[in-house]
Amino acid sequence: MSVLKNLIRDSLVYLTSGRKSYHIWMALLTFLMLIGMYCYSLQLEHGLSVTGMNDRVSWGLYISNFTFLVGVAAAAVMLVLPAYVLKDIDFKQAVLIGEGLAVAALFMCLAFVIADMGGPARLWHMIPVIGVFNFPNSMLTWDVLALNGYLFINLSIPFYILIMRYQGKTPNPKIYIPGVFISVFWAVAIHLVTAFLYQGLQARPFWNNALLGPRFLASAFAAGPSLIIIALAVIRKFTDFKIDDKTIKKIALVVTVAAQINLIMLISELFKEFYAPTHHSESAYYLFFGLHGKSALVPWIWTAITMNVTATVILTFHKLRNNLNVLYFACILLFLGIWIEKGFGLIVPGFIPGPWGKIAEYLPTYTEIGVTIGIWAMGAFIFSILARTGIAIELGKIKLKK
Amino acid sequence: MVSCKDKKDEYHNIIDKIEDLSKDYKPVSLSSETYIETLNKVEVIENWQRFYIPERKSQIKSFECNECHSKPLSELQNEKSIKKSHWDITLKHANQETMNCVTCHSENNMDKLHSITNKPIDFNLSHKLCSQCHQKQYKDWAGGAHSKQIGGWAPPRVSQTCVGCHDPHKPHFDKRWPARYNTQMADERN
Amino acid sequence: MKKEIKKWFSLNLGINNQDHKECSGSGCSHNSIEKTEDGISQVFDVNMNRRQAFKKLTAGLAIGAGAVSTSCSLFSGDKSKEKSEIEWEEYFKGNYKLMTEEEKSKTVDRLIRSYELRNGTKINISSKGAEENILFGYAFNISKCQGYMDCINACVEENNQDRASQMQYIRIHEMNDGKGLNFGEADDTYYHEVPAAGHFYMGTQCMHCDNPPCVEVCPVQATWKEKDGIVVIDYDWCIGCRYCMAACPYDGRRFNWSTPEISEQEVNKDQHYLGNRLRKKGVMEKCTFCIQRSRSGKNPACVEACPTGARIFGNLLDPKSEIRWVLENKKVFRLKEDLGTEPKFWYFMD
Repeated sequence: MSVLKNLIRDSLVYLTSGRKSYHIWMALLTFLMLIGMYCYSLQLEHGLSVTGMNDRVSWGLYISNFTFLVGVAAAAVMLVLPAYVLKDIDFKQAVLIGEGLAVAALFMCLAFVIADMGGPARLWHMIPVIGVFNFPNSMLTWDVLALNGYLFINLSIPFYILIMRYQGKTPNPKIYIPGVFISVFWAVAIHLVTAFLYQGLQARPFWNNALLGPRFLASAFAAGPSLIIIALAVIRKFTDFKIDDKTIKKIALVVTVAAQINLIMLISELFKEFYAPTHHSESAYYLFFGLHGKSALVPWIWTAITMNVTATVILTFHKLRNNLNVLYFACILLFLGIWIEKGFGLIVPGFIPGPWGKIAEYLPTYTEIGVTIGIWAMGAFIFSILARTGIAIELGKIKLKK
Repeated sequence: MVSCKDKKDEYHNIIDKIEDLSKDYKPVSLSSETYIETLNKVEVIENWQRFYIPERKSQIKSFECNECHSKPLSELQNEKSIKKSHWDITLKHANQETMNCVTCHSENNMDKLHSITNKPIDFNLSHKLCSQCHQKQYKDWAGGAHSKQIGGWAPPRVSQTCVGCHDPHKPHFDKRWPARYNTQMADERN
Repeated sequence: MKKEIKKWFSLNLGINNQDHKECSGSGCSHNSIEKTEDGISQVFDVNMNRRQAFKKLTAGLAIGAGAVSTSCSLFSGDKSKEKSEIEWEEYFKGNYKLMTEEEKSKTVDRLIRSYELRNGTKINISSKGAEENILFGYAFNISKCQGYMDCINACVEENNQDRASQMQYIRIHEMNDGKGLNFGEADDTYYHEVPAAGHFYMGTQCMHCDNPPCVEVCPVQATWKEKDGIVVIDYDWCIGCRYCMAACPYDGRRFNWSTPEISEQEVNKDQHYLGNRLRKKGVMEKCTFCIQRSRSGKNPACVEACPTGARIFGNLLDPKSEIRWVLENKKVFRLKEDLGTEPKFWYFMD
C-alpha cells in the first residue's frame, strides 16, 4: 500500500514538472476538456436535441468516434504480440506506450458511449443483479463486457510491470505473460464484437454484410499502430526514452500489411455494391455519389479514400517507408483517412436512407463537436500522463526511495 | 423465421403460431358491451356471420312517411297542385339508365324499399338492397373487412351499415385536404 | 399488522403518511420479509437493522443530495418533500417486467401522485396486464386509405406525444401508381387535396413483430413483447442508447431528444403505464396499439378515427374475428417479409 502511495506521490510530483512545451500542451488539453465539459452540461440540461441527431440518423459523431477508437485500442495488441509471443526484443520498448494508448483510447470509448446516452443517470440499469443485463442476446452487453475486460487487462498488466520497476524489482514473467496472451485474443474479440453490433442488424443493409468484422480488424490494425508510430516519434523527440529505428520500422510493416488488406476489402465492398446495385446499395450510393441530390458525405469519403490509397502506396515502397519523415506523413494520412472512413463514413450512411427510403442528412452541431473535442483532449491527457509516468519509471527517473 | 437463440417459440412463422394457439381458444373475458349498451342495434346474420348493425329507422328524420301522409300514394301521385316531393334530392348513383328513384324505393309503399324482384326490404336492412349489385363489398362487409366497427374489437361485433357512411343518393366521396402537415418532417427532408 | 416492505433505498422524510410507518432506532427486528422478484430486493433481502443502516448511509448519496437538501431544509413544505420522496423511489425502482402486482400498483400510485403534485389535476394510470387467449393483429386496407391522416391526429391526441417536435408514430406514404411499393419514391410529407390522381396511400407504424429485433438488442430489456403480442417499453428503465431504433426495420420507434411538451388541457388523462403515460427526455417510445384502449376491448385510436374503415384490429386467436377473416379471405402481405421479423401488421386490397 505504501508503495502505491509513494508511486502516486512521486508520479504527481514528476507530472507537474517539465519543460515549457509540456506545460503548454497540458494547459491546452485542460482548456479543451473544459470546453467539452461545458458542452456536455448543455446536453445534460436540454437533452440530446442539442446534437444534430434525429429519428432517422440516431447515431452520429459520438458513436462514430467510439467505433474508430475501439479499433485503436485493439491495435495495442499489435505490439504486444511480437514482443512477448514472438519474443522480438525490438518491440518491447514500444509495448508500454502501446498499452498506454490502449487505455487512453478505451477511456475515450467509454466517454463517448456515456456522452451518447439519453439517460446516463440510468446506466446502473445495466449492472447485473441490481439491474437487468440482457446477455447473451444483446450485442451491446457483449461489448460492455469486452471493453471493460480489456480495460482491466490493459491497466493491470502495465501497472504490475511498472510498480515492479518502480521498486527496482524485475517483473515476474509468470504473472504477466498469461495476461499478455489473453490480451492478444481479447483485443481481436473487442473489435469483432463491436463490429457485430452493427453487423447483426438486419434492418441496416449497409452494415449487414459478412465483411464488416474483418474490415474493422484490418482498419484497426492500420490506424492504431499508425498512431503509435506518431506517439513514438513525439516521445523520441521530447524524452530520453530510447526507441530504435528498427522498432518503428517493424511497426510500420504491420501498418503496411493492414492497410493493404483494408484496401482489398474496400475494393470487395465497392464491387458488391456497385456491380449489380440493388435496393440495398442505396446507402453506398449516398456515401460515394450522393442520392437524390443529397451528397453531404461525398467529399469526405473521397478525401478519405484518396488519403488511404496514397498512404498505402507510400508505405508499400520500402524506400519510402524506411524514410522516417515520409513514414510519419503516411501514418498521419492513414490515421485521418481511416478515422473518416470508419467513423462517420460508416455510421451515418448506415442510417441513410431511412427504413422507408427517406433521406434526412446529418450535420453535427457545435455542442456535439465541442463534446467530441473535449473527449479527444481527455484521451490525449490520459495518454500523456500514462506515457510520461511509464517512461520515467522505465528510465529510472521515478524510483522508490528506500 | 426463428433464429437459433429463440428456444421458446418453436413456430416457423406467425400463421403457424396463430393456428396452434387458437386450437384451444376460449372466449376472452373482455367485451364491448359497455361501449354499445346505449346504441340501438339490430342483430343480423349475413354470409354466415352473426353480428349487430345500428338501427336505422329511428335515425331518419321524417320516417315513417305514412304517419303524416294519410292519403294513399296512388292519390298523391295524381295530384297536380302539390309540389313534387323530395325535390332537393339529386340522384348521382351509377347512371340514368341503371338507376332511378324506383330502383330502390317501392312505388306502392313509401315506408319500404324493394329488391330487383320487387320483394319488400325494410329500411333497417337496407344492406340487402345494396348487396344486389355490390356483392364483393357486401361479402367483405359481412366478414369484417369493409366498414367501421362500432364499439371495439372485443365481441359482440357491431358493424356500421352501408348507409352509415355512403349516402345512397350520392355515394361519391369528395376530395379533401389532409388533417395535418408535419413541418418538422418536411424540414428534416430538405 | 402487515409490515410495509421497504426497499433499502426508501427515503423516509418523516412525512405523516399512512404507508410510511418507520420503526425508529435500533429496536426493530421484524423478519417478515416477502420474497419479491425484484432484483434489488433479492440482494438486499436482509434484516431490518442492516436495512436501517443502509438507509441512513444511502440517504447521503450524491444522487439524492439534491432531494435530501430540499427535504432537510427548514423552509420547504411537505409537498416538495413528498415530491423528492417520490422521485427517489421512482429512480431506484426495478424493471416493470419483473415487478410484482403490488410493486406495479405502487409505482402507478406514485406516478399519479407525482402528477397531482406538479399540476394539481388527477390522472388515471392503469397497470392492467395481458388477458389470456389474446394475440393482437392489425390489417391495413390499401384500397381504402385516401391519405386523410385523421389517424395521425387521433394517435397524437390519444398518446400524449411531444408537440414541439411534432412526433407522430404513424406515417402515411403517398405512393405512385405503377411504381408499386417503392417507398424511396413515395412522399410522406405531402399537403394537397387527397386522394391525388395517380397515387395510392399506405400507412406504417410499429408492426409489433412476433420476432422483434428491437427486443433482442436492448441491453437492459427495457422493451419486450407482452403475452398479448404488444411490444412495449418501460420508459423509466430505458437508458436511451437507441440501439433498438437502429435495429427496427420499420421506423417504428421514436426518441425523445428533449423533454416532451404538451399543454395541460391536451393531456389524455386515461393512461397506461406501458402506454400513453407522460414520458421524459432521453427515452424511447412507440405505438403500443393503444394499450390503454385495446386491453379494455376498445379499438386503437387510429382504427377508431379512420373515416374510410381502412384499419382493422382484433384478436388473431379468435376464429370469428374480423382480422382472422381478412387473413383467411383477402390477399394479404407484409412489408420486408424477408427480414424474418414476423410483423403482426398485414396489408391487403379490396
